[in-house]
Amino acid sequence: MFRSISKKIQFLKLLHQNPNPSGNSHDFPDFSQTQLTNNLNKNLSLLQDILGHSNDVNIREFCFGNQGKIKALLIFIDGLVDARIINESILRPLMYNSRFIDSGGKVTTDPLREIERSMLSVGNIKRINRVGDIVHNILSGSTALLIDSFCEAVIISTRGWETRGVQESKTDSIVRGPREGFSENLRANTALLRRKIKSPDLIIESRTLGKKTQTDICIAYLKTVVNPRLIKEIKRRLEQIKTDAILESGYIEQFIEDNPLSPFPSIDNNEKPDIIAAKILEGRAAILVDGTPFVLTMPMVLIENFQSAGDYYSRPYYTSVVRIIRYIAFLVGILAPAAYVALTTYHQELLPTPLLITMAASREGTPFPAMIEALAMGVVFEILREAGVRLPRPVGQAISIVGALVIGESAVSAGLITAPMVIVVAFTAICSFVVPALYDVQVIIRVILVILAGFLGEFGIFIGLLGLLVHLCALQSFGTPYLSPLAPLNPSGLKDVFVRAPLWLMSNRSRGMGEWDPLRQAFRLMPQQPEKDNE
Amino acid sequence: MKLESGKISGSQLIFLAMGFIFGTSDIVIPVQAARQMGWLTVLSGALEALVFAAIFTALAMRFRGKTLIEFNDMIYGALFGKIISLLYIWYFLHLASLNMKFINDFFMAIIYPETPLVVLMIFLTLICASAVRNGLEVIARCSVLLTIFTIFFYIADTLMLLKESDVSNLLPFMGISWRAFLLSSHRAATLPFGETVVFIMIFAFLNKHTEAKKINLAIILAAIAVSMVTARNTAVLGNLTYIVTYPSFMALRQINIGEILNRMELTVTIMFLSMAFVKISLLYYTTALGIAQLFHLRSYLPLVLPLGAIIIALGMINFDNTIQDIYFSANFYPIYCLPFQIGFPLLSLIIAVIRGIPKKEP
Amino acid sequence: MKHCGIIASVLLFVFLTLSLSGCWNRRELDTLAIVSGVALDKPKETDQIMITTQIIKPSQIKPTSSSGGETGGSSPYFNLTETGTSLFETIRKMTETCSRKLYWPHNHIIIISWDLAEEGIRKYMDLFIRDPEARLLVFILISKGQAKDILEEKPDLKKIPAMEIAEIVKASGATSFAPQITLKDFSERLLSKTTSPVAPIILLTGEGKGKRAHVAGTAVFKQDKLVGELDEIETRGFLWVAGKIKSGIINVECLQGKGQNSLEIIRANKKIIPEIKDGHISITIKIKEEGNLVNQMNNKDLSEPAAWEDLKKRQAAAIEGEIRAALKKAQELNTDIFGFGDSIHKKYPELWKEIEPKWDELFPSLETNVVVDAKLHHPGKLTKPLYPAEES
Repeated sequence: MFRSISKKIQFLKLLHQNPNPSGNSHDFPDFSQTQLTNNLNKNLSLLQDILGHSNDVNIREFCFGNQGKIKALLIFIDGLVDARIINESILRPLMYNSRFIDSGGKVTTDPLREIERSMLSVGNIKRINRVGDIVHNILSGSTALLIDSFCEAVIISTRGWETRGVQESKTDSIVRGPREGFSENLRANTALLRRKIKSPDLIIESRTLGKKTQTDICIAYLKTVVNPRLIKEIKRRLEQIKTDAILESGYIEQFIEDNPLSPFPSIDNNEKPDIIAAKILEGRAAILVDGTPFVLTMPMVLIENFQSAGDYYSRPYYTSVVRIIRYIAFLVGILAPAAYVALTTYHQELLPTPLLITMAASREGTPFPAMIEALAMGVVFEILREAGVRLPRPVGQAISIVGALVIGESAVSAGLITAPMVIVVAFTAICSFVVPALYDVQVIIRVILVILAGFLGEFGIFIGLLGLLVHLCALQSFGTPYLSPLAPLNPSGLKDVFVRAPLWLMSNRSRGMGEWDPLRQAFRLMPQQPEKDNE
Repeated sequence: MKLESGKISGSQLIFLAMGFIFGTSDIVIPVQAARQMGWLTVLSGALEALVFAAIFTALAMRFRGKTLIEFNDMIYGALFGKIISLLYIWYFLHLASLNMKFINDFFMAIIYPETPLVVLMIFLTLICASAVRNGLEVIARCSVLLTIFTIFFYIADTLMLLKESDVSNLLPFMGISWRAFLLSSHRAATLPFGETVVFIMIFAFLNKHTEAKKINLAIILAAIAVSMVTARNTAVLGNLTYIVTYPSFMALRQINIGEILNRMELTVTIMFLSMAFVKISLLYYTTALGIAQLFHLRSYLPLVLPLGAIIIALGMINFDNTIQDIYFSANFYPIYCLPFQIGFPLLSLIIAVIRGIPKKEP
Repeated sequence: MKHCGIIASVLLFVFLTLSLSGCWNRRELDTLAIVSGVALDKPKETDQIMITTQIIKPSQIKPTSSSGGETGGSSPYFNLTETGTSLFETIRKMTETCSRKLYWPHNHIIIISWDLAEEGIRKYMDLFIRDPEARLLVFILISKGQAKDILEEKPDLKKIPAMEIAEIVKASGATSFAPQITLKDFSERLLSKTTSPVAPIILLTGEGKGKRAHVAGTAVFKQDKLVGELDEIETRGFLWVAGKIKSGIINVECLQGKGQNSLEIIRANKKIIPEIKDGHISITIKIKEEGNLVNQMNNKDLSEPAAWEDLKKRQAAAIEGEIRAALKKAQELNTDIFGFGDSIHKKYPELWKEIEPKWDELFPSLETNVVVDAKLHHPGKLTKPLYPAEES
């Protein structure tokens, strides 16, 4: 016992001494600060050592210049680069055109600069001499041009790998509004964002995260609207991430969120450029991560889960109704089974007599207590859902048919489960899909409430709900209270909570987020009839 | 390090105070003795409480950003100040345990006759403890939502009961003796309204210290609501109002609109529970904060759970039975609470004015 | 550190709920014996009380089995009878014969037998108000004959007799020949010093198996003791004054001996104005009524305004007659069922202190004025009688 504890302490000490917890600094010499020499062969062998001998690393040696006297080589990763650029914009000008350059007569002070300026017909070029940066650039799709007797490499942007194009988003489909969704390509994503907000205020800062994956991420925000403290805080939290891999924005979310122990998400994600643009315009910041269409936005408040992009594109009346329905569905989604359990086992007097008799009739002869029934049915439903989600569509349908028939029909007719319980669980399940972003939260709360209801009835449910309220009131997301504008109550913010006020009424940005530029639009924008001529 | 870094706004204070007043007003109605005049004694009791509140706010204005515990030391000196502070802490703790007992007694009487009292108490105390741990801001935020919710139900239930109510049940006007009337309104003044003395501990955390005056508005609004509910109960239940233990609950049992909207007593239990939560949390919080300030602790958090245990234990031993607690709140409490609600605050104010503390900073 | 608290409390919650086996008040639906009606009787020889409860058997009224009719299943209810000295004890004794615990919140009616009611029923009502399970919206009925037998009535439209009786009481608003008295009304009156409780009378009519419950008339109490009854017309007279008329038919003649007109009461309200002048008490009852003509059984041409006015006056007179009959009966029984005492109390709280002790002497000779303001709105779809037109 004590030995194992002391072992752990030793291990922790080791970790503290070693700033690089993955520990690979022992295996390889740290090359990040090494600089190139002016010997091409040495450079080549150095890079080969670092990049290993993977067969997707392409090294193209060639000669150019007058009479082909200058030795040079291109290093790039096959598949990450656009071969046409290399062939036509790098190799062709260097190999053909350089012969006609008269290098003997004029002595250029900086031949590399000459090459850059007059030969390479590629947009993005930089010169680097730190090996670490060169390797990073090669691995992210650039081509390195090394020329003999120069201690700098020319990094030519030749990115061009196969990506999924801009496609319709699958997770958030709406009736009216743009269909496009983000793709896995960071640059394409920032471009989509730029196309929505063509203001110079839109700042897109980028950095790299992940020791091994070297994932590019971008922080996007509106300079004039965002709270500068928010950006500072985001950067501080991002800097604290010391990890090997960022494979998806979810990794970042889990490292920087405010309330890691709460079931409620404190960072929102979305894959639609219009929604992200809207959030940035409200004064939020977005984090785009290379390799995933899901973009994080922060700070997040609870009501964002109940808002949909379509709400703002359609007219406000029906939208408001739908929004209220979302809240009702959420409440049903967390409360219905618990309420059913409490009503049937504690508060039968609250049921109308005919309903009580019907329920009592279906209850006769079923073996399990209502609480066990509710929990078991919940588990069965989650299993059916999980099985259906992962499978290809035709098989998924088969599962739902089997589930509906076996669970819905047979269990009831066999007298194992009461029919009202099946109805309640099924309806709850449907309701919880109305607010998909909170599906997981609903399941957790539902189970807790069912247990409380099973043991203390209505008192238990309300104790649970009060606990939920306290929890929600205590949550924060990057300094913004999670329940705002409900708590702390901000009456002017209620225009966009339970109902969606007409756009011409929402002249202010929500408080606490966009206060640096509180006005979104002019006042009194309500469409008016043209004034009649008095002639 | 500050014990409480949160700040509340004036409007939050209003809702917090209203929720605090609603906390017991509906469960324990000490105005039953006033019979038909109950609703009016609530209003006149609130008037009396406004006098108390004037003293509280005067103290708050004089000692900006200082809580009761802090300025007691300044007024009475270290020793007597500490004794008075201790008495106040006892009072808050006792109130918290009384309320804990009231609300759980209600649940036991109505729904859970066979469930041990202590189980219900533990659950409610845990929830309150989690709110207290999260600090004043969270309690205030919760109270705003819960109070709005409660007021909504007060109004909705009253509208639903219009059909059942008979205004002539409120007659005769002044059918009771003046003595009974004054006694009853004093009870109302001390039981829900005067207990706002606890806000002397809270005023220090206001955004703007002048907002402390909003407590008057809260008392007036709450008095109107409580009076409305009392009048409604009398109008609905008639003679029964004076013999039932929980008039609001009984009144809401009468709702029957088209055989569909009936059995609304559930809403009463929700309201009672949420308002009791606000009240107990606030008292619980002030007790914890008070002890921490008294003994100059760095944080009140370690006190929270032990205090919860004390509240439960006190609640269990306070009274043997419901009859005792009803008798206590109607006959003994109005005297017991006087020094805390009016005696000490008035004395403090007088001494502070005479001695001219706090000294004006040059 | 904040989060540790949350986790700790959540864990404590789950632990508490799971470990404390908190099933104290848990009752699954199949452990309840749902009481739908209760009858209180007085066994002849002893001073005990006999209680009959009607308990629903939910499995027998399953909607799915209704296709087979009544032939297959047994009856959807059963009655339990038990005799004992105290009410609650006797009810508890029923568990000796019933496997489930009686469940009271869905009780619809309390039937009290005539002879039990004559002895005073205050002590029994207490339980029905005090018990947390009981509700105040229960109908109270007084049975002529054994109350127990009423619960054995054969229901037609509902499956449970008690529920059908409750529906009959509600439907009595169509004629206003019986008051609808819930436990709340009854107990409010029990708590008043002068106003006396009333309750509708229920009896069985018909022979053998086809016996039906019949609700009409009013049993009149003095304090908590039954002292007499009002017949149907007197009952309506009482309901006019109580302001509880919902609907009803007034028959008036407009041609002597040639057939009647039926008028339907559409709405009515009342005002009771007590007046004390020089120690002399008088009560003015103001009734406002609106009615329609629904059936004319004679050939009088009512399309003439004068004839219509005449009909209106007769309607008012008929109403006044009903009220007078009720007042007379109540004064004979010397029981203030109209709440005149309370209305004086409300208006003259000071004088009432002197009047109250001698109210019993004052009431039988109380001066009452009845003012009826009756309106007659529509003649229906006909303006003239269904008779060949007389040549003029």
